[in-house]
Amino acid sequence: MFKLNLKIALRNLWRNKTSSLLNICGLAIGLASCLLLLLYVSYEWGYDKQGKDSANVYQVLVNSTGINGENQGTGRQTPGILGPVMKQNYAGISAMIRTGEPEAQLIANGTKGFKRQGRYADADILKIFEYNFISGDPKTALSSPGNVIVTESTARALFGTADVLNKSVRFDNKYNLKVTGVIKDLPGNTSFGFDYLMPWTLFESISSWVKLPNWTNNSWTTLVKLDPTVKVESINQSIKGLIKRNEADTRSSAFLFPLSKLHLYDTFINGVSTGGRIEQLRLFMGLAIGILLIACVNFMNMATAKSEKRAKEVGIKKTIGATKTSLITQFLLESLILTFCSALMAIALIELCLPLFNNVLAIELTISYSNPYVWLSIFAVVILTGLIAGSYPAFYLSAFNPVQILKKRSFKRGLLAVNLRHILVVIQFSFAVILIIATGIIYKQIQFIKNRPAGYQVNELVELQQEGNLIGKFELLKDKLLQSGAAKSVSQLSGSMSNSNSNFWGLEWEDATEAGRHEIFSQLCTTYDFVKTTGVKLLEGRDFSSHLASDTSAVMLSQTAIKRMNLSNPIGKIVKYQGQDCKIIGVFEDFIWASPFKANLPMIVAFNKRMGGYVSIRLNQANSSSANISTIERVVKEINPAYPVEISFVDQLYGEKLKSQKILGILSNLFGGLAIFISCLGLFGLASYSAELRTKEIGVRKVLGASVFNLIQLLSMSFLKMVLVAIVIAVPIANYMMSNWLKGFEFHTSISWVIIVLAAAGTLGIALFTVSFQAFKAAKTNPVQALKYQ
Amino acid sequence: MIQLQNIEKYYANKGLKSYILRHVSTTIKQGEFVSIMGPSGAGKSTLLNILGMLEEPTYGTYEFMGENVVSLNERKRIELYRNHIGFVFQAYHLIDEMTVAENIEAPLLYKKVGSAERKSRVAEMLDRFNMVAKKDLFPNQLSGGQQQLVGIARALAAQPLIILADEPTGNLQSAQALQIMELFKKLNEEENITIIQVTHSEINAGYGTRILHLLDGVISEDLQVLG
Repeated sequence: MFKLNLKIALRNLWRNKTSSLLNICGLAIGLASCLLLLLYVSYEWGYDKQGKDSANVYQVLVNSTGINGENQGTGRQTPGILGPVMKQNYAGISAMIRTGEPEAQLIANGTKGFKRQGRYADADILKIFEYNFISGDPKTALSSPGNVIVTESTARALFGTADVLNKSVRFDNKYNLKVTGVIKDLPGNTSFGFDYLMPWTLFESISSWVKLPNWTNNSWTTLVKLDPTVKVESINQSIKGLIKRNEADTRSSAFLFPLSKLHLYDTFINGVSTGGRIEQLRLFMGLAIGILLIACVNFMNMATAKSEKRAKEVGIKKTIGATKTSLITQFLLESLILTFCSALMAIALIELCLPLFNNVLAIELTISYSNPYVWLSIFAVVILTGLIAGSYPAFYLSAFNPVQILKKRSFKRGLLAVNLRHILVVIQFSFAVILIIATGIIYKQIQFIKNRPAGYQVNELVELQQEGNLIGKFELLKDKLLQSGAAKSVSQLSGSMSNSNSNFWGLEWEDATEAGRHEIFSQLCTTYDFVKTTGVKLLEGRDFSSHLASDTSAVMLSQTAIKRMNLSNPIGKIVKYQGQDCKIIGVFEDFIWASPFKANLPMIVAFNKRMGGYVSIRLNQANSSSANISTIERVVKEINPAYPVEISFVDQLYGEKLKSQKILGILSNLFGGLAIFISCLGLFGLASYSAELRTKEIGVRKVLGASVFNLIQLLSMSFLKMVLVAIVIAVPIANYMMSNWLKGFEFHTSISWVIIVLAAAGTLGIALFTVSFQAFKAAKTNPVQALKYQ
Repeated sequence: MIQLQNIEKYYANKGLKSYILRHVSTTIKQGEFVSIMGPSGAGKSTLLNILGMLEEPTYGTYEFMGENVVSLNERKRIELYRNHIGFVFQAYHLIDEMTVAENIEAPLLYKKVGSAERKSRVAEMLDRFNMVAKKDLFPNQLSGGQQQLVGIARALAAQPLIILADEPTGNLQSAQALQIMELFKKLNEEENITIIQVTHSEINAGYGTRILHLLDGVISEDLQVLG
């Protein structure tokens, strides 16, 4: 029985090649999109969940409170002393580490050196994360300051082999470290990645201030691992006042948050996690299911539209003894076969698209074919799709009454069935239109933020890290760069121009209120030529000048800072910055240092030669930028031969800020387009089928004198009506959804009717094209052919 | 074997009843070969459909093998189809996607006949109807007469007690029609299969043992054919 059904199903597929192809393609694209999205979702979902005990790992977060008890934000940086004190005092903490942000630092084997992400961490990190050691002993690998653990790819880059245990590498061109462990490369979805891992004790010996038992310097990430028996609530209860008990002047309080959840639930309001990335993930889940459903709807529609042909088969089978169950099984089997074909095609499609997808989203997704769970979930999705797509036709067709069909009276579809098919098409197109409008608005929002003036000249501005000899020989570098003609202007900065990297509170000025003293300012330290190099716009006053010795203790303030500080005539006034009296010499227009989606913090730019970190260079536009870059590379290499030269363009770094919104834009663009495509595929199938069914009617009408145009109109109208209804339904939903989405941004654009009208017209146009093509074909046939067989 | 009592069939349309069948009462015994005749619209096909339980009468009782089958549930009805009733249609109604052999095998599959037995019965049928060479062809590759032979072979494969045929030769040329009628006669006489056919043709009716004349839904004549 099964064999025969299978054979018949395959014959059926083969016989109706066009519609099979339409069905398989549509379903394959739907499945591929769905699986791709699910792959992305599972990638994000799997963040920091790799180890067996990942559920017991917690990150220490710090809630800071304002003077009136209001929450001022939740930070991930903790005092360095906090972790060791916690470990000492609470028995449930089985492991504790402090670690910083990894930095691209030089690691070399002889003259062969690379800048790779290096991380410092306490030795317990090997108890918290379960790294796959290729060689080395996890118990002792970080036990002495001269040790280093490298990842396999780092080892290969440096030595050409992974077998590098006990070999020596030179770190930062200063320290010789012994490789005590080689581990497999870390997966992309980990928050604490690195290329090589060094003991915290090394960090303490390099920078002695790290060791100071300071309760107010929130600089390090602290992770702990709890015994499974310990309740995190009880620990949280007891560490609540820990910081305050040790340092009365602070108003911050630490708590533990599960690391495995932090990546997805990263938004904190009033000290409580309120969501975050998880919302985007839910959106993608919805998108995945939606697209798959659209594809299923196609299948259902095609199958039920075909019912007239299949009805005869059902009737006969019933009179020779087929039960409803056996017919349902048969139809489900057919849809499963089709889904299976589609799944094969979908996997091929995914393999084709994955590199592109990874490239666009800058992530590393792969299907690990050796993982049984991957197969299991693909299998589950396929079976589910087959059942969903097949269920409606199966029940619909198997319920036919044989006499109605076999009596040979013209078989009429039930009113309900027709309506349901219309409803499905309407839902399908509503979904597609919503996606298109959403895409348009996301795009508009991104453009809006992009067009928000950065406040400085991001183009033709490059920066490089100030390290090695560049720290002591900055003046030499500056002179040489200016001489070479590659740079118009050079300035030293304490941090990158592209990303907010430092803030503080406690600025004092004349008439400052207590609240003002706790105002948080962004801070950036620089030397001469700051304004000239970065292109920040001065509103009042002047840049730091080398001709005035007093400028070494001068500051510039942003417009917002002046407003918040309530200063009139700020130039010449004195503020107390980091314990030193400084004169305000300039006021500059706000520039976007942090997120372009948020309002700027008040900002102070201070003169401080000792606080280096970055060299910022304005390129000379007289030369091509590639020529400029190679000149700069040569000059920098001369001064600082031990380090590879890595120059970043600030406009590119600035563009990174829009990354997550861009991903959203790209994904909704891609999948919105696909949704329309699949829907049109379905419409194409339905239209061709309806044209086929109405051959006789078309023949009669032609004989009666209908023109081709009349007929196209006749055949297209019913479909276009459905699309119109879909648009009418979709527009308010999209409008509501997107205005909610926009409300989430401090700076946002508005929903423009142009987008909605364009989306509606576009969809209608595509649908019209799809349908009228079929209608035209039907209308052009010779009426005699249509009438001869009736 | 079949007992109809006071069978009525009408469609109510805006309060008006339009009758298809009125007061139809008759008994058909095992081994009879009955032809139902009458002009178009007399209710012949409706009567056959009711006999085949494809339609329910509006009123009246219908006993099939001593069992009242009016408003029988689908499961039991299908049970009867599998074991006792074979249908032959004017438009053959073969399953287009199945080969000749598969079409004949299909009712046996539904009847859950074992594989070996199935094979032998299909072979027997093919042999009997001289279609061994055509067993792997699809219905659209056969002539009308050949298709109807397959239709009858399919009906016979399940070894039914009764064959219901709705104008079995209506689409055939006369030579082929003759062949089919001879076949029916042989089945009736040699295997004692009850046959009820709807036909327009006096010649076809002549093959049977009994003729029911239907006029405007009423049995106007019930004749025994003298062989």
